[in-house]
Amino acid sequence: MTFISTFAPSGGRRLLRSGFVMPAILVVIVAILVVAPLVRILLSTLTPEGIAAWQAVLVSPLSFNLWWRPLFNTMVLGFGVASGCLVLGGFLAWLVVLTDVPGRRLLGLMGTLPYMIPSFAAALAWGTLFRNSRLGGSAGFFETNGLAIPDWLAWGLVPTAIVLIAHYYSLAYTIIAAALSSVGADLVEAGQMAGAKRPRIFFGIILPVVTPALIAAASLTFAGAVANFAAPALLGLPVRMQTLSTRLFGMIETGQNERGFVLALLLITVSALFLWMSDRIVSGRKAFITVTGKGGRTKRFPLGAWRWPLFAVAVVIGLLTTVVPVLVLAASSLAPQSGALFSNWTLHFWIGEGGGEIAQGQAGIFRNPVLIDALWNTIRLGLVVALTTMLLGLALAYTIVQRRGSLLATILSQLAFVPLLVPSIAFAAAYIALFGAPIGPLPSLYGTFALLVIAASAHNLPFAVQSGRSVLGQISADIEESARLTGASLLRRLFAIIFPLAIRGLFAGAILVFVKMVRDLSLVVLLFTATSPVLSMVAYRYAAEGFMQFANAITLVILIVCLAASFLAHGLQNRVQKWKES
Amino acid sequence: MNALATGAADAIEIRNLVKRFGAFTAVKDVNISVPAGSFLVLVGPSGCGKSTLLRMLAGLEGPSEGEIAFVGQTVSSGAGGVIADAGRRNAGLVFQSYALWPHMTVAGNIAWPLKVARWPREKRDRRVKEVLALLGIGTLAERYPAEISGGQQQRVAIARTIAPEPSILLFDEPLSNLDAKLRIEMRSELMRIHRATGATSVYVTHDQVEAMTMATHVAVLNNGRVEQFGKPIELLRNPATTFVATFLGTPPANLLPARRVGDMFVFNETPLTTGSIAPGHDAVQLLYRAEDVSVGAVPDKPSVVARFAEAAPIAGRTMVTAMLGELRITGMAEGYFSAMPGDPVTLSFIRTPDAVFAVSGERITQ
Repeated sequence: MTFISTFAPSGGRRLLRSGFVMPAILVVIVAILVVAPLVRILLSTLTPEGIAAWQAVLVSPLSFNLWWRPLFNTMVLGFGVASGCLVLGGFLAWLVVLTDVPGRRLLGLMGTLPYMIPSFAAALAWGTLFRNSRLGGSAGFFETNGLAIPDWLAWGLVPTAIVLIAHYYSLAYTIIAAALSSVGADLVEAGQMAGAKRPRIFFGIILPVVTPALIAAASLTFAGAVANFAAPALLGLPVRMQTLSTRLFGMIETGQNERGFVLALLLITVSALFLWMSDRIVSGRKAFITVTGKGGRTKRFPLGAWRWPLFAVAVVIGLLTTVVPVLVLAASSLAPQSGALFSNWTLHFWIGEGGGEIAQGQAGIFRNPVLIDALWNTIRLGLVVALTTMLLGLALAYTIVQRRGSLLATILSQLAFVPLLVPSIAFAAAYIALFGAPIGPLPSLYGTFALLVIAASAHNLPFAVQSGRSVLGQISADIEESARLTGASLLRRLFAIIFPLAIRGLFAGAILVFVKMVRDLSLVVLLFTATSPVLSMVAYRYAAEGFMQFANAITLVILIVCLAASFLAHGLQNRVQKWKES
Repeated sequence: MNALATGAADAIEIRNLVKRFGAFTAVKDVNISVPAGSFLVLVGPSGCGKSTLLRMLAGLEGPSEGEIAFVGQTVSSGAGGVIADAGRRNAGLVFQSYALWPHMTVAGNIAWPLKVARWPREKRDRRVKEVLALLGIGTLAERYPAEISGGQQQRVAIARTIAPEPSILLFDEPLSNLDAKLRIEMRSELMRIHRATGATSVYVTHDQVEAMTMATHVAVLNNGRVEQFGKPIELLRNPATTFVATFLGTPPANLLPARRVGDMFVFNETPLTTGSIAPGHDAVQLLYRAEDVSVGAVPDKPSVVARFAEAAPIAGRTMVTAMLGELRITGMAEGYFSAMPGDPVTLSFIRTPDAVFAVSGERITQ
């Protein structure tokens, strides 16, 4: 579609028109998807009710509970999680990229997996193990087995932070590992030639070169922690620990929309402020591009006697953040008494019929029509959003690349990256502000599947444009032009050249979007309704009502769907682009 | 192999050096020594082991067998590995990629090795200014590597390497990332710096022109082995193998396979030269330089008719290449010459062959 503008030197007038229409449509789409909701939510808080909400949140006896306390908790979480992620992710990246630790491939794989597991899975697993009897209900595994768990370890900030670190450190790992492997061996060897010892080379060369990546990793994990809803909701809300995102959810949930919108705007401000600051630090003259050495060779340092001990540490970290939570969830979904994880296993929570004593007579998840419905909805949501996101991303990326330097391209690329600054729950709030009421002749979209799709596609835009650009980057202008010189038609080129080269990247991007959607909670938690439930939401509901086994079983289903999608993608990728098999 | 006669304390002495990577032998039994102040060029096609050899000299790799000694001091050996660390050899290495530290300014890059070596601040600052001036990049001192051009980065890399005043300078294909014009410029620049510092230099390249113009000593490497080591003119005049004969020299020399027929060596039905030049050999390879092959028939000289392939004017004459079957033969024509590809061209061999090689590639001494 947009490729039209690259060819046909004949028919210049048509070229002009088609070269203008597409960008214009894209600008309108992006404006509706990104700008309109944000403007609308801002305007909603400028009405008399809105002003009152600002006052209530910021300057009133309520403001301590509505704003300051949640802000404090949010900040503590953000900084705690960012530093934890830097330490864990940095350690792992250093180990895998710069040392001769055994099993580097395995460790590298383990480092990327936790991000695939939704944070509420880790939160549920934590609860299953560490819950204590303070709130009544059944205690967790440890307390049931005679190990008293103090409140601070069972509920509130500490477990929330631990769970978020376990989830986000793999993001930090990915970023830092990529940066470290771009430090060419030549840079290190040049230091060796200068006579510098290993610590001097590490602190004088390697660390400064990857500092931009460290800052990026810190700010992204900070933003992730600040925006996260699932972990603080599951581990904090029961003891009334509020973060900005849970507060915002609570307000909208209880119909205090204006206060919710105010909190959403404040949350956006906090998150965007930190992302912007980190961007300022790493941009400018010091935004150096690493001058990489021959073939991206990296220098590995021998660990000597520490090889195996450090390997063991890394494996334990990997197991605790991937395998253990999954095992705990699996065991819990089979155990009738949530504290006794490994006894009296039953498949009741999966396929049991209703009635009877367990689970207050509720049927197993595969006999529950609501759940089957939710499973279908979830997969449908994932597929539709993956498709719309990648199409939109490709079109945007193409327009931006084609018109590089023009005002239009700048506007498009800036707008497309705005959602990156907006925590998803606040983004959902903005969508409620815009689509919660009928607009002119259009009916209210609130609670519809369509709204979920639109909001999700909009929120994925930055990622979509990014992957669209990288996909297009693989198809150099030369390749396309050399095909054009053979006289091949546009369609022929699309199918013979562009599509085969782009498919792998598109596919990988689509799978990531799919996985993101299937395990997303913070966006759907505000936008879903009973008529279009999705799995993560149903799991959250069950967990909030204390049916941990059901929640854990559904979470496992989500994990299996995500894993299946990833494996499928892996298998298919090798099939469609055989020349890339190594 | 043939070492030049040198004194006991050569600046660099390489003895029986071998480097294996698993089952692959990258460097095979290399022997080279050069006196202080030499400019040694290691030249050969890619994958011939020249960079590995250089990295062993730098101390970044240890040899599998053999020894490297700097001024009589063993710095690496097969038995002891890297005895003197890279930083303790008083050697500097200019990387092919330049390897500038991207987070330091130009001045910072040059100063860092001096900081590591604990030069006092004043002396350091003075030295940084000095080398900046020597390379003519004083105005770039406060720029970051990403903000300067490739040629400038190259100068910074050289400045950084010579700043600590190493007695040995190592260059790993330093000019291969520059464009043709800049390469010629930097070539003379490097020779100027070599004269200015007096440091013994080892220079790795695959470009035989660089080797011929810069070297005091050349080692031609092929498949990890030194094919020949000596002074550049010497190698050009008396190539020891067909590999050296065809690798060095512009335009490349011709190598014609010939059989003994009666009293003569015959190439392609044409008797070229008397059989007495290689007694006891029935088949040989005859080396004719381009200037010994004339375009057009010459009375009393043997000639062949080949098909014209290409012509390149050089200094008022024309270098003409023609194909005889699969064999390329290059000769010289006076003035300008042109023809259509495929046209018949007569090539006359106006002198006796410059050298005679056995079929195996070894030179046959007369």
